[in-house]
Amino acid sequence: MWAIAGIIAVIIAIIMFEAPSLRRKQLRKELWVFSILLLIGFGLGVAISLHMKLPPALDWIIVIYKPLTDALIGLLK
Amino acid sequence: MLENGKIGVRQLTILVILISIGDAILVLPSIPAIEAKQDAWISVVIGLAIGLPIVYLLTIVGKLYPGLTVVEYNEKILGTWLGKAISLFFLSYLFFSAAAHLRESSDFMITNIMPETPIMAINILFLGIIVMGARLGLETLTRTAEILFPWFILLLLMFILFLIPQADIKNMLPVLGEGIKPVIRGSIASAAFPFAELVVFLMVFPYVNQTNRIRRSFLLGALLGGIVLIAIVALSILVLGADLVARNIYPSFFMAKKISIGNFLERVEAILAIIWFISIYFKITLYYYAFNLGLAQTLKLREYRFLTLPSGMILLLLSLMVAPNITYYNEVISKYWPNLDFTYSILLPLLLLGVYALRKKFKRNM
Repeated sequence: MWAIAGIIAVIIAIIMFEAPSLRRKQLRKELWVFSILLLIGFGLGVAISLHMKLPPALDWIIVIYKPLTDALIGLLK
Repeated sequence: MLENGKIGVRQLTILVILISIGDAILVLPSIPAIEAKQDAWISVVIGLAIGLPIVYLLTIVGKLYPGLTVVEYNEKILGTWLGKAISLFFLSYLFFSAAAHLRESSDFMITNIMPETPIMAINILFLGIIVMGARLGLETLTRTAEILFPWFILLLLMFILFLIPQADIKNMLPVLGEGIKPVIRGSIASAAFPFAELVVFLMVFPYVNQTNRIRRSFLLGALLGGIVLIAIVALSILVLGADLVARNIYPSFFMAKKISIGNFLERVEAILAIIWFISIYFKITLYYYAFNLGLAQTLKLREYRFLTLPSGMILLLLSLMVAPNITYYNEVISKYWPNLDFTYSILLPLLLLGVYALRKKFKRNM
């Protein structure tokens, strides 16, 4: 619970730090990208702090590169 | 312009040296040593021989559009949508790489230097200066590299000199006892980690002020970095022996503990930790900076600095999520990561060059 509160506090701090100048310059697309990134960060943070079972982020590299790596190593055996 | 800074060619060379040494100074010796045993240093020599043509290929691509970064000329060469898609893949590679390196640095800290500190605390501290470096921009970052570089070289020379008395030539024999194949297997990672990862410089080339001298200084930097790595790997085998090098995750740190000069200079392994902090800091920061700059250029944003804090937060969390434990991490990094590096440092440049050549030919026929 405290972890989630901490994440929200960090996000609010980032918004207070960056958003006013973006709003002042009327950078709408920039504000969208900024919010989407923060949302991704919030999602990841909550998932980690609730100890959800997430697959390790490097798993997709194994999935994609396993055939190539095995072929390459087999060639050099 | 998103980035107004300009760097000189000498600064470029320094940055290339630091980034090619990068994390490799700490982790590289063990990866080829697992395959090639006492011939790991030959693996790194072959790695340099494979790496320099890759680096040359990168400079050819960098010359296509001297004023633009790779993310920008992706769209010119491949068309808007395909270009944007490839750019996003490239940027996610940079971001993952930054996260993996951040994880590597904090793993090293909690296993060797500060075992009781939570990994999050180390990550947050390190991320703080990374975000700061990326916000200040390329020019400031490079000048910092220039200031730290003499210290880096001094510590490196001290490290090598102090260890020479411990070297034993018997550890390196027999040379090529098991044939050349294990040596080549070991050279894959030795080519990827220092040299293929220099692909990030495709984001830096437009900001170098003497375009015609980029190739020379880029190759020079990679060559010098490679020589340092050959020296470190050879020294670690001479001092520790192939078996210990292959068993350790951080052989050069282990080797630094062996420094002992006249019962006076003992336990100076922090020298190696400082060398490595300097080089990995610039590596992570340049990757992270290139990611933010590239994202702003892909999405046609007018600034990139506001992206650094939110993406820094994601980077921090991703570095925790990269791998459940250090064994898994090392397995993936030593086996599969080199091919990921080659995808972006060989396949992407070849694709760009091929499509560029086809477009030119097609235009002339019309």
